[in-house]
Amino acid sequence: MTVSALTRPGERDRLIVKFSEIDWLFVLAMSLIAGTGGLMLFSIGGLSWDPWAAQHAMRFALCLAMMVALALVDIRVWFAIAYPIYAIGLLLLVAVEVVGDTRLGAQRWLSAGPVSFQPSEVMKLGIVLALARFYHSTSAHRAQLSWWLLIPAAMIGAPVLLVAHQPDLGTAMLILMTGVAIVVLAGLSWKIIAAGALGFLAVVPPFVLFVMHDYQRERVLNFLHPERDPSGTGYHSLQSMIALGSGGLLGKGYGLGSQSQLDYLPEKQTDFIFATLAEEFGFLGCISVLILYAAVIFMALRTAFLSHSHFGRLAAAGVTATFTLYVMINGAMVMGLAPVVGVPMPLLSYGGTVMLTVMIGFGLVQSVRVHRYAEVTSGKGSIL
Amino acid sequence: MAEPSIYFSEVNERQGVFHRRAFLMGGFAGLGMAALGGRLAYLQLMETQRYEKLATSNQFNFKLVPAPRGVIVDRHGAILAANRPNFRLLVARHDDTDTEATLQALGNYVPIDDARRRRLLREINAAPKRAPVSVVEDMSWEQFSAINVRSPEMPNVTADMGEVRVYPHGGAFAHVIGYVAKVNREDMEAVGPNADPILLHPGFRIGKQGVEKAFDLQLRGKPGAKKVEVDANGREVRQDADGDIRPTPGAEIELTLDLDVQLRAEQVFEAESGAAVVMDVRNGDILCLFSGPSFDANRFVRGLTGPEYRALATYDHKPLFNKALTATYPPGSTFKTVVALAALEAGIDPALTHTCSGSWYFGRRWKCDEVHGVQNMTSAIASSCDIFFYQTALAVGPDRIADMARRFGLGEVFDIGIPGQKKGLVPDTDYKRRNFPRDPKWHPGETPSMGIGQGYTHLNPLQLCVMAARMANGSKALHPRLIRSVGGIEQKSGAEWGDLPVDSKHIAFVQNAMKAVTTVGTARFAADLGLGPVKMAGKTGTAQGYNYGSGRGVHGTQGAWRLRDHAWFVAYAPYDAPRYALSVLVEHGGFGAAAAAPRAREIMRTVLLKDPEIRQRVQSPTPLPELPPDVRNDSDLPEPPGAEEATAPPTAAPA
Repeated sequence: MTVSALTRPGERDRLIVKFSEIDWLFVLAMSLIAGTGGLMLFSIGGLSWDPWAAQHAMRFALCLAMMVALALVDIRVWFAIAYPIYAIGLLLLVAVEVVGDTRLGAQRWLSAGPVSFQPSEVMKLGIVLALARFYHSTSAHRAQLSWWLLIPAAMIGAPVLLVAHQPDLGTAMLILMTGVAIVVLAGLSWKIIAAGALGFLAVVPPFVLFVMHDYQRERVLNFLHPERDPSGTGYHSLQSMIALGSGGLLGKGYGLGSQSQLDYLPEKQTDFIFATLAEEFGFLGCISVLILYAAVIFMALRTAFLSHSHFGRLAAAGVTATFTLYVMINGAMVMGLAPVVGVPMPLLSYGGTVMLTVMIGFGLVQSVRVHRYAEVTSGKGSIL
Repeated sequence: MAEPSIYFSEVNERQGVFHRRAFLMGGFAGLGMAALGGRLAYLQLMETQRYEKLATSNQFNFKLVPAPRGVIVDRHGAILAANRPNFRLLVARHDDTDTEATLQALGNYVPIDDARRRRLLREINAAPKRAPVSVVEDMSWEQFSAINVRSPEMPNVTADMGEVRVYPHGGAFAHVIGYVAKVNREDMEAVGPNADPILLHPGFRIGKQGVEKAFDLQLRGKPGAKKVEVDANGREVRQDADGDIRPTPGAEIELTLDLDVQLRAEQVFEAESGAAVVMDVRNGDILCLFSGPSFDANRFVRGLTGPEYRALATYDHKPLFNKALTATYPPGSTFKTVVALAALEAGIDPALTHTCSGSWYFGRRWKCDEVHGVQNMTSAIASSCDIFFYQTALAVGPDRIADMARRFGLGEVFDIGIPGQKKGLVPDTDYKRRNFPRDPKWHPGETPSMGIGQGYTHLNPLQLCVMAARMANGSKALHPRLIRSVGGIEQKSGAEWGDLPVDSKHIAFVQNAMKAVTTVGTARFAADLGLGPVKMAGKTGTAQGYNYGSGRGVHGTQGAWRLRDHAWFVAYAPYDAPRYALSVLVEHGGFGAAAAAPRAREIMRTVLLKDPEIRQRVQSPTPLPELPPDVRNDSDLPEPPGAEEATAPPTAAPA
């Protein structure tokens, strides 16, 4: 297919063309990460498909199919449902406050028949869509510094406060940071950025001391002083670092990691899967996976550059920011650089919710790529 | 919105800002990824060794294995304390198992009654998590295998094979060797905060009494270790036999005791209460150190029940008490040997006589058992005349008697390796002054009773045996020795403690008098060994435990047991060439000649017959000098006994 063919009117709307426009290299990198995850889950399951590896592979296959389907959804449809999705997310968060299930001491889950899910996951995507939608219709001047900025501030603040109240501080921070990233990308004045950064630094210590729950404070304090409690919450961090360090350059061999196989590593199939990888495949294995992650991040970010619509740019960049934050936070936690928070390594870790969120996000990114030349009209004049 | 949807300048400005900032964000992401990579390189390439070590210490545990406890043997190598295999059942506390249900389930295989289950539950809950507690000891093979087969279903249960201490001779050595038992809180407190971790091992037993306690560290040996791979919950995943550290067995301890003599002592005491001590007068080796009645130390290893312990603790014959060391008694007439020596040293003529009329007046009426008539020192010892010794003691004075007594080891605590010796008391004027502030003066009326081994004088059977041994040896200040060697290292001989500072002529005189005791004196019937030329010299004693005058004490074997006199006999044999000395005490046994001397005779016979040289002497034809003069033609020149003559026929005697 030639470039000239694509310029033919209507050519871009053909399904087969759309399909070919998906970034298959990106899909390959993603699949390699998920495959590595499956490999590790097979190892710590005692070299067995049960209980994790098979489900992980199946989930990824389903999510991949869904991602491809979402990539074919017109960007203008995404644009149109941006605010509704955000509104639904917000409503669900309120519903969780009122009727949600309490699991592990936090009110995060909503049940609808046999399906139960966390509305905060909807919000991870909702905030990206809604902010992109907002800035799409906002001038550069307003985005830089104006009273209009109170709107995105409120859009970010409402879900963050609701999620933090559940309490799920990790997800709240993730939503906040994603939102802030989009606001900054949209052109926020450097003065405000600087003022905000200073304000944040000033607020953190009193927040840790007075607002956090005890278990949250424990985690933070143990991170700062791991020797406080080597067998309690500091244990996770220490065991993870032992797994990493003892892996060495080439690792202990597949299925031979003593830390993960003998249960010293906590949450080895979810939050600490990277440590398992590090133990069994060593530095080379880890670096390879990190490079794959970097590739995924930069390919997703490149999509943002390609987009001709501001909505597309911000949406793709927002999803990329969320994904990057996941990788960074989990990596830092596993390597003992950050306190232990319940953030999994996307695609690598076992767990359906996060994979679903990430893959829907990537569906959006690919949709941006496929429809990068599409003209997105703002305001009431939408295609729906 | 009111504005047109596209302003080209606006669009370009927005796009430009976005591109710049997205570029910046990409830079940040790149930096972050690089930081993660750097951290990985630091942990995995620079710090590998440190974390490898930590991972290994996670993965492998060394489980302590107690060393086989050292064996205790007698002087001929006969085993007195050893170990035998023991099938044990252990239960530990785990988070995910119900200890009570486990004990219920175990009740199907081994008997655990309700009271015991409650006690075990308390014990297991008090123990640290995953520290196994012994639930049943000494299971049968059937019980062991039944539980072993089912142990995969019960992760907190282990059935293993350990070792248990066994004392093959039951009670005969219980007081000397003691016993081992579970480590209790007092033991842990005694060793302080840096306790040997082996003390916490459920199979470990600590020495509680006697040799087991005194030499506990040597007997323990060095524990080994079993290398096992464990998971995060502390469960054994597999064993690594190559990584095991073999335990070093405990040191063997050889005692100077003789199994046969000790068993004979146990036998002759029957159910009587008392003690017997036998020493070799050449080197101080203790051949017998018996206290009766005794108890079965094996029961203590298993753990006594409450009623069992109460029965032992409250019995008036005091089986838990080592009477040979820990109990002191008035020595009675056995003390007269020392009084006689003090008199001789004070220059009193041994030919000086006193007349015994059955009683004597000195401040009050002093009695004697019989009317002995005119007595010199030899006959007074032989017939144990109190009247003679009242007056002799008065003439010598308490300080010189006490001084002589101390030279014979009386009132002294000897280092024999095991604890529990009572010092006893040899009184003198200084003692009176220091201990009776209201009446510090030694009254002359207190001296006569000291002369017959009564009054303040209290001694233990070991001391009296040392006295007899020193008397028999004549030149050495012998010390008793119980521990012959520890781990093959010979202990100091009892003959290396210096000389006995007593005139040998005086000792020879008293030896002669002790010979008279067993030939013509109080023990002339009871002390006949029946071993031909090998005879015994000794001294009887009948010590008053209570004052007869107050109407409480009982002379002889009538009346309440606990009010009767104590029976003593000290002796050595053969009287012409002394080798063994003994002291026998029968608590509340009545007369020394009746209760103590026959037992002493039987014990001494066993000792003598185990000595090959003595046996040869007994078996060989009677040497000439031993023949009664009237069967011989030529009787004017009796020959001293000697090795050459022992085999010579009677007719070959020189003219």
